Amino acid sequence: MADRTPTEVAEPLPGGPASSDRPVRPQRTGRRWIAAVALVVAVAWSASGLEIGMDRLLRAPGDAWSIFRQMVPPAFGEAIDRGVPAKVLESVHIAWIGTLIGAVLSFPLAFLAATNVAPLAVRVPVRQLFNVIRAVPELILAVILIPVTGLGPWAGALAIGLHSVGTLGKWTAEAIESVDDGPLEAVAATGGRWVSGMRWGVLPQVLPVVTSHWLFRFEINVRASTVLGMIGAGGVGAELVSQLVFRNFAAAGAVLMMTIAMVLAIDTVSAAVRRRIIRGAARTGNDDEDRNLAVLADLTGLGRNSS
Amino acid sequence: MAGGPPTSSRPARPRARARTWAVAAVLATYTVVAGHTVGFDLSTFWTVWTNPLWDKFWPIPWDWVLDRHNVLDPLVETFQIAIVSTLIGCALALPMAFVMSPLTTPNRVVLVVSRSVMNVVRAVPDLFWAKLLVTAVGIGAFAGSWALSVFSLAVMVKLFSETVDGADPRPLEAARAAGGRHVPVVRTGVLPTVLPEYVAYGLYVFELNIRASVVLGLVGAGGIGRVVEAQRQYFRFDRVLGVLVIVFVVVFVIEQISVAIRKRLV
Repeated sequence: MADRTPTEVAEPLPGGPASSDRPVRPQRTGRRWIAAVALVVAVAWSASGLEIGMDRLLRAPGDAWSIFRQMVPPAFGEAIDRGVPAKVLESVHIAWIGTLIGAVLSFPLAFLAATNVAPLAVRVPVRQLFNVIRAVPELILAVILIPVTGLGPWAGALAIGLHSVGTLGKWTAEAIESVDDGPLEAVAATGGRWVSGMRWGVLPQVLPVVTSHWLFRFEINVRASTVLGMIGAGGVGAELVSQLVFRNFAAAGAVLMMTIAMVLAIDTVSAAVRRRIIRGAARTGNDDEDRNLAVLADLTGLGRNSS
Repeated sequence: MAGGPPTSSRPARPRARARTWAVAAVLATYTVVAGHTVGFDLSTFWTVWTNPLWDKFWPIPWDWVLDRHNVLDPLVETFQIAIVSTLIGCALALPMAFVMSPLTTPNRVVLVVSRSVMNVVRAVPDLFWAKLLVTAVGIGAFAGSWALSVFSLAVMVKLFSETVDGADPRPLEAARAAGGRHVPVVRTGVLPTVLPEYVAYGLYVFELNIRASVVLGLVGAGGIGRVVEAQRQYFRFDRVLGVLVIVFVVVFVIEQISVAIRKRLV
């Protein structure tokens, strides 16, 4: 068996040269058909429930287009007179304060949630707390908080802060879990207490990563805080709603433009700062992965290149 | 120092540079300004915590909450919005993502234009889209489905075009070398390698849409948020809390199922 000669292998198969044979086309398995049918049924059921009539469907793009056309020379002068730039800034303030609240609350909790430094009995409830908080959107928190805090930016900042605790706590705990054990052992070897181990063994290692997570969360919170105004929790959202209600589309267009400009500007600056924090001042090549993508992969639970 | 062994001298403590202090000062100043505008004050935590209005959230009126017309029907509508808009958004995102990736778009102008348009679309928050479309096509689930479709298109294109960027270029080159035209080349050279991630991202967008569709009703775009908004205006906070509890149990279950499917796919 083992001493097969090469000629045997090279012998052509009966029925034509082997190289020109097309591979067999893979057959669809039954499971794929079931998934496809389930998808079609789900969509048909959903579409029927939403009362999407044909005439409505055909008219909608025209309606939307006419509004967008009326926005097109945006009335920047009117928007500035109404104090929209201040409202845009207020959204940034809300996001900043909210992120700080989230950071301050989540940072100590994260130490209690990390596998390598916290005992099981503490870890599990803290992690569940993060999961529950993450599942409640800022807007819903704001709906609950507004009756208690009153309308205004404070409700928004508090809602954003509480919601941020969930994601920030999870990310920080993961950063703590990935530290090098060496410094922790060194502190333990010199007789340091748990707190000293955290302060000197863990904190210096996680601080850059955690700071970049805070900034990333700040970017997300800026988007969230613009929306919060729509239900009365401060910021630019209220301005957009009132312009649309009065059908003053040129001014609404200006509000929209200013918001987009602010969001894009903060994204760009914050991404640059995060890159500087993670990679340092030295200009390394492009081979190391962008932090944004890494966090994105973490958010989606997917690796970037699995194949 | 001269008396002790030389090995025991402590290393010099690193000092913060002037620039670090400047940055810290600027951030601290900004924080104070922002905190002042927002109305932040440590005592507000206490006043919020001890506010007697919290009592109005309790007890939850379960017989009202579990009534079919009050919660279940709008909740079903919420999921219908999420399903339809996920499908529309993801279907449109498939060709868009190929247009936006340098691997599959040889034309630079098309690439730059499509990327910038999508960046702007993504910079508009989902509820802004919802409010705009409510104004355009009227209050209700129809506007909500439109808004979420636009938003899922933007998110899906962003996620998926990065997968296309990272796809293996060799099947593409092989198909091109065999003389294929552009569309069949992309169809046979790239699509099969990225399809599993497409489905996985689609499920992720579905989860986002489920969460987003819960709040759409707050601006009049249909779904369960409509109930929350109405009860909020009647100051029936106990009902609000009851609805939210139901919503989060259901959303949590759906998310766990979706996460489990995604893990198997990728």
